[in-house]
Amino acid sequence: MIALLLLGIFAGCTGAKETGPSETAAPGTGGEAQGPDSVKIGVVLPLTGPASSTGNDMWWAAQLAAEEINAKGGVNVGGKMVPIELVAGDTETNPDKGVEAVTRLVQQEKVDLLVGGFSSAITYADSVIAAEEGVPFVITGASAPVITHRTDIDTSWFFHHCPTSDDYPYWTLKFVNEVVRPAINEKFGFPEDRKLKLAVVYQEGKYGAGVLSGVKKALEENPDWKIELVAEEPFTRSETNFQTVLTKVKEAKPDVVYPATFINEQVPLVTQGRRDVGLNTIYLAVEATDDPDYYSGVGQWGEYSIQETRFSPYAVPKGPIAPAVNKFREDFKAKYGKYPSMMGAGTYEGVYIAVDAIERAGSLDKEAVKAALAETDLPEMIEAMVGGRITFTEDFRESKFQLYMSQLIWDDSAGECRPKIVWPDQLKEQDFQLPDWYEPGE
Amino acid sequence: MADIGILLQVTLWGVFAGCIYILLATGLTLIFGVMKVVNFAHGEFLMLGAFLSYFAATILGVHPYVAILISMAVMALVGIATERLCFRPILGTGKLNEIIVSLGLILIFQNMVAHVWGNDGKSIRSPYEDITFPLGPVSMPLDYVIIILATALILLAIHVFQTRTGLGRAMRATSQNREAAKLMGIDVERIDMLSFGLGSALAAFGGGLWAVSGQVFNYQSGSVPAIKAFAIIIIGGLGSIPGAIAGGLLYGLAENFAAYFLGAAWKDATSFILLTIVLTFRPTGLFGGEE
Repeated sequence: MIALLLLGIFAGCTGAKETGPSETAAPGTGGEAQGPDSVKIGVVLPLTGPASSTGNDMWWAAQLAAEEINAKGGVNVGGKMVPIELVAGDTETNPDKGVEAVTRLVQQEKVDLLVGGFSSAITYADSVIAAEEGVPFVITGASAPVITHRTDIDTSWFFHHCPTSDDYPYWTLKFVNEVVRPAINEKFGFPEDRKLKLAVVYQEGKYGAGVLSGVKKALEENPDWKIELVAEEPFTRSETNFQTVLTKVKEAKPDVVYPATFINEQVPLVTQGRRDVGLNTIYLAVEATDDPDYYSGVGQWGEYSIQETRFSPYAVPKGPIAPAVNKFREDFKAKYGKYPSMMGAGTYEGVYIAVDAIERAGSLDKEAVKAALAETDLPEMIEAMVGGRITFTEDFRESKFQLYMSQLIWDDSAGECRPKIVWPDQLKEQDFQLPDWYEPGE
Repeated sequence: MADIGILLQVTLWGVFAGCIYILLATGLTLIFGVMKVVNFAHGEFLMLGAFLSYFAATILGVHPYVAILISMAVMALVGIATERLCFRPILGTGKLNEIIVSLGLILIFQNMVAHVWGNDGKSIRSPYEDITFPLGPVSMPLDYVIIILATALILLAIHVFQTRTGLGRAMRATSQNREAAKLMGIDVERIDMLSFGLGSALAAFGGGLWAVSGQVFNYQSGSVPAIKAFAIIIIGGLGSIPGAIAGGLLYGLAENFAAYFLGAAWKDATSFILLTIVLTFRPTGLFGGEE
């Protein structure tokens, strides 16, 4: 028994690391010209700890991108073709360890550039090292805008390729105003200028509070949207019993409920809201829950709820990026046995963005690469971008995602709900439906 | 001010939340009563109970409620093994050793589960999830009714066991005075094993029921309930089963009334304020002895 237990702890501690060594994903390509022998990219990610499955996904996606690029001859650095070498920096899902990981990548591995980053709290801590040491960092997974807005460090080294907690509510509420509100007004014969009542239920802390402030900002900046906030209810992280807080929300008579949660909170929240409390409304969701675990957990209770997303495990947006999305999904599955997550998609693009900047800089000089990153203008790849291009804003170096909305529809063959894209028009698969059981706020 | 219907709803959700707390706290207090051992890894037994139920229901394909019973049986054995291998060798050597052993157990159980089942969220679908009973504005799911009845039944069974059977009386005797029980010819080490097995099975029962009620769980799901269970048995009085029941109900109700009147972010704070108040006026807890 003890042996078994010891085996368990041993395996638990080392198992995840096996998947994340600093291996070179490169066929060697020689060249006579002077210059570097490889481009060394540090990938900052949680290979161990609570977010290790996300970290593995990011690592695999980065490797896939590196292999594709190396198979085409590598990176053109000032006329010399050199391979990409990826080095993993494991944050262990912990801000302190993240600082250690980035320090190691920068000082010992001497990477040319950093890609990745997961969790705002961890990235907030570890990106400081990149700023101090002057290493460009393409951040693909921290949603707090403060990451590039802070003034205590030189953030000009950071390029934020990830929607922020200001972006989620902006697109979600734009959709609610354009599609959900008119649908409710039409079905119940309400006047066209009736304001839609919105309730926000949010996880305490940076993430949830960030979404709430994003909601307020979006409503303030868009006074023409006919939406009013009628309830804002915080809850502590990892809450499991939402009946009482939803009873309170129900008294505020909302037309739509917007929870800012993680999967383990969204599942009981939606289940208890629909099944126990009888809050028969449209539940919105932040992209963090667009994950296979969410669909299996929420089951039938998630039907007709709305999922905001940028890269979904089960839905492919129509339009120009569809072939690239399908190819990435299938290549990833063929290699690693499962479909990639949204975090994998962002990291994959991050490697391409880094390589593009290095090629345009013509050298690995960090100032030159930083300047080239600021000038990035790539066609969108596997995530839809505003205007179809990946560019970074001048003020805070943020790329602008075209987020889209899926509606969960029951799928008999899966025995679960599946997301169907309903907005915007250029990406959608079908129209938004207001379910028969829906009850408006008044 | 809230109307009476709303207050009844909040009470209902409080009692329901209290049931899971009671199952976890009763097991913890049972073990403490007999062995005076503080097992900080008790929450991991709840988490393991949920995972074993998941394994039996999903992989073996048995009915979820049968799966919970299987998980209880397995966890009883795990509990006995834990007592025999980890706690008996250090019994009486000081509280620090108990704390270190139980912290080690937390690491072992969490990593073992993460290794076997990964760190993704898991869920178990109840076959009764569609069945609800209208209760005023509330729909009472059949699963919740089962949880409340099962909790009541199991508490009744423990009461009968402790008052009507020789073994149960021996357990109570050991709990009251270990040395005297030994002198009366009671095999206290056997009672230790029994109480650890029973306590672990109760935690597994709580974990399985909680999972089936529509939750997502992962290898860290035992941590928060474990802290709450400790607060509950301190409120109720260490080692007292009626105390664990009263503490669990009080805790569930306090959390939900706080969520309604102050906001859900106040749930944890309110419970610990309650703990402070109880300890100020009754340092040994509501049902604690005069030690």
